[in-house]
Amino acid sequence: MSPFDRNPPRSPPAHAEATRPGQPAPGANDPAPRTKTGPIGGGGNDPAPRTKTGPIGGGGGSGGNSRDGGALVGRSLVRLYCNAGSSALEYTHAFINAYAIDHFRGAVAQRLSVGAYELLSNALNFGSVSSDILLELIEAENIVGVRVSNEAIQARISMLNEHLLKLHTNPEQTFLDELRRSVTGGIPRPMLGLARVAHEAGLTLTLNVQDRRVTVTAQCRR
Amino acid sequence: MSQFTTVTVPKTDTVAIQLTAPNQVKLSGTITQKDPSNDLAGFFKALHTAALADKLDEVRADVSGLTFVNSSAIRLFVDWATWLKNERGQRYTLLFVTSRNVTWQKTSFMALMSLAKEVLKIEQVS
Repeated sequence: MSPFDRNPPRSPPAHAEATRPGQPAPGANDPAPRTKTGPIGGGGNDPAPRTKTGPIGGGGGSGGNSRDGGALVGRSLVRLYCNAGSSALEYTHAFINAYAIDHFRGAVAQRLSVGAYELLSNALNFGSVSSDILLELIEAENIVGVRVSNEAIQARISMLNEHLLKLHTNPEQTFLDELRRSVTGGIPRPMLGLARVAHEAGLTLTLNVQDRRVTVTAQCRR
Repeated sequence: MSQFTTVTVPKTDTVAIQLTAPNQVKLSGTITQKDPSNDLAGFFKALHTAALADKLDEVRADVSGLTFVNSSAIRLFVDWATWLKNERGQRYTLLFVTSRNVTWQKTSFMALMSLAKEVLKIEQVS
């Protein structure tokens, strides 16, 4: 398959949450990060744990009250598959950056560029090598975003969840803390990338976990 | 003789580096490689050491043309500020020339200021 699969059908991708007309987007009016773990639906017949944490950062640090914090359901402008551990980061980012500059106004392109780089970097570094990483650039009527999904081990998912909760609480302070930790080191290793996405780029982060498949979306108003 | 101006400039694919004055370094382009410290950490350290040897009052690091850097590259600037902050005895001021139009520069250098304000200055250009 070609790594560049542009303009697929306008239906939401498999990992997106469906939104019907007149129905609020999941998480759109939910100011607090939500975490659901355990069986969902089917009266306990679904053993797969799901975690959903949403919206974080963006909107000037107002966290989940951000007006662009709903689930991102729209058209995939770019869909790109790669493998964890590969060297896809630099050339993929160069492509996404050029594409964003060509399609969006400068400030939005810069923000998406940071989001795409850091999300893909995390997926390449921490994703499971046994499954594809999918990066999408998505546009809806008023929102644009970048979404990256990959499989990961449970410990990594828990760490990501905790980090996103910190970012939700205070993106700026978390950014500062991670910057400080990047000097002193420590365990877990500093995670400046997502803090940049939330604080510096002002993108709203949402996390969706199904089984071991992690999907992180970073979005903003276009 | 100035040691600062004789520091060897690394050749990198995506970032252009120039020593433009006895106390000025200019970086432009992007820093996207996974581990930019291979190319740049030693260079920044050499500039720092040379600036101390030259007893410079100020080093101007013009990063206004750096349109994108990854978080590993931000750490390099943090490291430079930290070396300077931890320096005992005579030390210089590190002035970062940044662009108002580049988002990452506004937030990252403001945050860096809060970590090492006694040795840093920021100048914004359009």
